[in-house]
Amino acid sequence: MNYVFHLIVMLAIYFILVSSTNLLVGMTNLLSMGQAAFYGISAYLSVLALNVLHLPLIVSLVFVMFLTGVFSLFVSLPARGLKGDYFILATLGFQLIVYTVLYNWVPVTRGPYGIPGIQSPKFLGLVEISGLFPYVVFSLMLGFITWFCINRLIKSPFGRNLKGIRDNELSLKSLGRNTDRIKIEVFFISSLFIALAGFLYATYISYIDPTSFNLDESIFILTALMIGGTGGIKGSVYGALFVILLPELLRFVGLPDSIAANLRQIIYGLAIIILMRFFPKGLAGEQELK
Amino acid sequence: MLLQFLINGLIIGSIYSLVSLGFALVYNTTKIFHIAYAVLYMFSPYMLMSFYKELGWPLLLSFIIAVLITTLLSFLVDRVVYRPLSDKSNNIVLVSSLGVMIVLINLIAMFYGNETKVIKSGISQTLEIGHIIITYSQLTQFIVSLVICIIFLLVLKFTRFGIETRALRDDPELCMIFGRNIHKTRSLLFILSGAFVAIGSNLVALDVGMDPYVGMPMFLNAMVALIIGGVGRFEAPILGGFIIGILQALTVWLFSSRWEDAIVFLLLIVFLLVRPQGIMGEKGRQV
Repeated sequence: MNYVFHLIVMLAIYFILVSSTNLLVGMTNLLSMGQAAFYGISAYLSVLALNVLHLPLIVSLVFVMFLTGVFSLFVSLPARGLKGDYFILATLGFQLIVYTVLYNWVPVTRGPYGIPGIQSPKFLGLVEISGLFPYVVFSLMLGFITWFCINRLIKSPFGRNLKGIRDNELSLKSLGRNTDRIKIEVFFISSLFIALAGFLYATYISYIDPTSFNLDESIFILTALMIGGTGGIKGSVYGALFVILLPELLRFVGLPDSIAANLRQIIYGLAIIILMRFFPKGLAGEQELK
Repeated sequence: MLLQFLINGLIIGSIYSLVSLGFALVYNTTKIFHIAYAVLYMFSPYMLMSFYKELGWPLLLSFIIAVLITTLLSFLVDRVVYRPLSDKSNNIVLVSSLGVMIVLINLIAMFYGNETKVIKSGISQTLEIGHIIITYSQLTQFIVSLVICIIFLLVLKFTRFGIETRALRDDPELCMIFGRNIHKTRSLLFILSGAFVAIGSNLVALDVGMDPYVGMPMFLNAMVALIIGGVGRFEAPILGGFIIGILQALTVWLFSSRWEDAIVFLLLIVFLLVRPQGIMGEKGRQV
């Protein structure tokens, strides 16, 4: 049973990561390769909020979300006008810089040693969230909040603006929309949700180190999104399910551990090559990547 | 001391130039964000190691075979993965390229293991000029890279293939209208690009060894070299490669080698903001 609980928490974390990436990649056609950087920043900020400042749960959530949002401005302000590959490179650059800083700024982040013993947050200062079951409840709660908000956002007028940028930015500009501003806003919103995932991850695992937030993680999130499909929220659910449950299925096949990790990655890789070739919409996407 | 760092920078810069030129061959003509190029860089030394160390073939023969196999792989990636997607958007091609990268990295890690491998052990001989020390493998890297870059630029300028390459860069559609077989040129470019990256990476691996993850940092340096040099020109990545090599050497001299990657990307972001067309590029109208 504990095993299933653990899977549910991980599913919630990856659903949040994938669906907030969908806001950028699927809705606005901003192919960001720096999602793991925000994930990492928010995880380290959670440590700051809980272990150093000893903030209560709600306050530290707001603190982490807001600051991660502010960090998103470091990407969105310089990159808002860049097109295509240049935009991808700028986000890639951000990802690498953040990783290098997390890894090498030892006095603050403890670098490669990582930070152990992250305190569990206290709900309203009374109920401590620790142990598996409370985390299942907590992560499902955050997962549903994300699902609800992003689903509403996609269907709102703001969501239509995003689709407008994806489909034809020039026309949207000619209709008097400030597309640069919209891009900055969607980056901000996306990193708000990513901060939820970072907070969940940091407090649930209670140990973080920079290698969980490197470029491979960004690519992994993107892979999950591509497998699930971009555009709607359903694709994000399917993507997260696929990447979390496939390794567990392979585990039952009984492969030796040394091969299993690589084999899993190979299956992900083949899956996106084949999907992009024959079903570019992914498993449940509404729109193929532009 | 500074001079020694500068010379090291020039030597590693020559490798960046070669690798970046190989990438530019593909990127300038097809506009594919060819991330799988990073794996080609990692793949070739493993082939070299298999033939040289495990089968015990002579070094030069193993080197050539490794280059040929990588070339074939580069051709196949284009033929099997990229070409069927030619009517799709660039982002879809990029994601497929990511898929190729994931598959190949893990195949190599599965068969050869994750740890660092060395091809040639022992200390290589050095050349001392005054206070400056250069190893013979460094010297080989520098000379081979430079010679290949120069020969390619001459080929580009004076041969029929060079003209077709430049035509493909300028307007693929018009090439087709004039009855040129652009698929053939494109395949040739992928083959050449595979050869360039294989030669560069084999030379580096003979010097310092390799692991399955060496490709990405090198790919990013090559990409940045291309951007700051100027996309669309074939001389530009060579200039960019040397700039990055020297910049990294200066970073090591002033701070520490830990900040090498960060400084390169800082440079990239500055360029994207101030001069997105690169040093040698011309300012085009963005649509």
